[in-house]
Amino acid sequence: MLYLIIGIIGTIIIGFIVSLWLPGIERKFVHARIQQRIGPPISSPGIMAPIKFFFKQSIRPYSPLPRLYNSLPLVGLLSALLILLFIIPETYPIGALASIVAIVGFLKIEEIVYVFMGSLSKSVMSLRMPFPDLAKGAKHPNVQRSFLEDISAMRAFRLIAFGSFPIYIALFVPAIISRSIFLGDIVAYQQVHGPILFSAAGVLAAIVFFIGYMILLNEYPFVILKTKADVIEGPYLEYAAKSRAFVYITRGFLMFTLAALFSVLFLGIPPNIFTWGILVNVIIAVIFPILMASLSAFAPIFTFKQFYPVTLATSILGVVALLAAFI
Amino acid sequence: MDKNVIETEITMGTVHSAAIEPYRVRLFVEDEIVKDAEITVGVNHRGVERIMEGLPVEKANSLTEKICGICSGVHLWNSVLVAEKGLEIEIPERASYIRIIVAELERIHSHLLYLAHGNEVLGHETFSMRLFYIRETVMELLRMIGGNRVQYGVPIIGGIRPRAELDEMKIQKIREGLDYLEEKIKEFADRFTSDPMIMSRITGVCPIKREDALRLAVTGPTLRATGVEFDQRRKMECYDPFEFDIITQDDGDIKSNLLVRVFEIFESIKIIRQAVENLPNGAIVDRSWEMQDTDIIKSYVEAPRGTLYHSYAIEEGRVRNVVIRTPSIANIGAMQYAVIGHHITDAQLGIVQCDPCFTCTDRAIEIIK
Amino acid sequence: MGVKSYARARAIHAMLVYTGGCNGCDIEIVNAVFSPKYDAEQYKIFLTWNPREADILIVTGPVTQQNKKPLEEIYKAIPEPKLVIAAGACALMGGVYKNIHGDIPSEEIAGPVEEVIPVDAKVPGCAVRPEDVLAGAVSILPKLLEAK
Repeated sequence: MLYLIIGIIGTIIIGFIVSLWLPGIERKFVHARIQQRIGPPISSPGIMAPIKFFFKQSIRPYSPLPRLYNSLPLVGLLSALLILLFIIPETYPIGALASIVAIVGFLKIEEIVYVFMGSLSKSVMSLRMPFPDLAKGAKHPNVQRSFLEDISAMRAFRLIAFGSFPIYIALFVPAIISRSIFLGDIVAYQQVHGPILFSAAGVLAAIVFFIGYMILLNEYPFVILKTKADVIEGPYLEYAAKSRAFVYITRGFLMFTLAALFSVLFLGIPPNIFTWGILVNVIIAVIFPILMASLSAFAPIFTFKQFYPVTLATSILGVVALLAAFI
Repeated sequence: MDKNVIETEITMGTVHSAAIEPYRVRLFVEDEIVKDAEITVGVNHRGVERIMEGLPVEKANSLTEKICGICSGVHLWNSVLVAEKGLEIEIPERASYIRIIVAELERIHSHLLYLAHGNEVLGHETFSMRLFYIRETVMELLRMIGGNRVQYGVPIIGGIRPRAELDEMKIQKIREGLDYLEEKIKEFADRFTSDPMIMSRITGVCPIKREDALRLAVTGPTLRATGVEFDQRRKMECYDPFEFDIITQDDGDIKSNLLVRVFEIFESIKIIRQAVENLPNGAIVDRSWEMQDTDIIKSYVEAPRGTLYHSYAIEEGRVRNVVIRTPSIANIGAMQYAVIGHHITDAQLGIVQCDPCFTCTDRAIEIIK
Repeated sequence: MGVKSYARARAIHAMLVYTGGCNGCDIEIVNAVFSPKYDAEQYKIFLTWNPREADILIVTGPVTQQNKKPLEEIYKAIPEPKLVIAAGACALMGGVYKNIHGDIPSEEIAGPVEEVIPVDAKVPGCAVRPEDVLAGAVSILPKLLEAK
């Protein structure tokens, strides 16, 4: 019993500590090198920024439901934490929640949170900027006016509809190969037959998983939800102080969690602090953001005209991987 | 246009991350496609024409430089040309060549800023930073000639400021700078046009047709991007000794606008090289003129954004009845029509494609129909 | 040096507000952040466009009448502790528009920044140099670190 508790808490703490350094590594070692400049110290974007935000004055956000709005980053952090919790091998005996279907559900919570954040935020940088718009001679004075964050919420809706296909398809390929949706069985299958990554279906599914990872984290080029070009920061516009610190922490944590998920599903090495498996997870958690940042530094923002075909192509690749898994 | 199809209005305010100057945009959208647009200028109105009333001529000229931070040299040059035309002053040839060198260097740095800002709105931070780095060379050359990176103030009535005299060392530095620029911009242009992601974002987006552009009084590279061959520099006497091409493209969309300006940078480099090789010797300023009263004199010049117009009258050494008309006032108005039918993120790029300089534009105007 | 001051010194978010003028200062400041030659990020200063995330507000331009209320609203939206840097001759004393003493003075300038919001650091220049703005930002940091 004690074993169980130390295993769970230890892994979560190690995941948390590693995730604090990931945004800094991404910013300094990849983006800054490619852009031929020096860049910030590694600890600044990931650790020092959230700590600084904790010490700022908490303000009441301009929102119809301010307390709900402020609690949404915690919901996001909680869902990432739950995913990590059920990847840890000590929890596999529970069964129902340590399965692919439950992970899909937790990822869904993560995406729905954006819709709520976007609808509840009313920032001064969008409609509330004081300007005499409806003066004499203005065009269309009677049209309904919306905030920039509402556009973000609509875009989040669309992303829920089609943007999560790649990662969901990629999640099901290991389940088909190992004939079970429970994580315990998938890991056991790979102990016997070798990592799923080293098969044709596995390689294709890994590529699809990586693109789905980029879409889920809203990284360039799939950043239409919170692009600087029109919606400034999108759903996050009214967050200050503590809530903003949680937003920063959630991002790093999600990067680690999804990398650990990759390691469980495709390599068969769960984050177990009592073996060397945890090191493999940490290494993958560092490699994935570096790869992601190298690709995103060279891509512009995709509008829906480019987003739809790319997602379609990736989904088709995923379906090919699914069919190859049956062989 | 179907008025009852407009679903909602999106406003982007005076301070926005995609704008480098304060302005207000209202986009009327339906399902994220723009149906109508309204761009409000006037946030930046400082009353320059009003302040210039009654100032001594030299002081008024130095004020026109502060109208815009990007195209400051060409405002000062045009204002000085008005005074010289009115007082009938002939400036020495060496001064005219150096003025053209500074004006072309300004064109290069303005186009580089446009490309860098356009890339930032596209979302490509890496290219934006590379372009800002290349632009630093031009800023250093301008600092060497004029003394300041922004607002270098080289033309004065009768010639150029004595500080801006070029000697052998400075000319050598200009040559090295031009070689560096040519190489790096060619590399960048090749890299940019061979990237399929960027090309799919900018081809065919927010075009403006040739007839619409002529009807809405668009000038400058924006007009040349729709296929009309018109460059005010061909009508200016001081550009007669130089040989350069007029660059045009066909489609009037964002890709054409970007390509016109990239090729114009190469043409400007060509002009500066000719000026530096054939620089005539002689004095750089002619101070033997006398102040007299003049009527309203007009002068047109090719600014980096189009045709620029200044006019004023001189009475007892003071300036009267100033009128300044910048090219952006028509270009920005034309963009309200170019963005119709496109997605909001593309519309942001569509407004930036005409290289708007809202600070140049803010003047009180009277429309005579 | 407690955790609070240490963390505040290692991650500073700066927001840029342009309130008119010729925008030369504004472009020089964007240069300071976006150009690899000056690169403010190596000094741990990050650029943001959201007042809720900012610690330092950099204001350029003489405040024109239309820009006065937006500037006040943005200033109010920044959570404490906050600092304001006024950069450029226009932001310090109205620049050339208020001080050229022609026949008719301009009525469009609502005064230098000091008359609209309280200012902590003043950086002169026309246009201001990028290295001066970074020096100004660094010089008032002790105020930010010691604040409550």
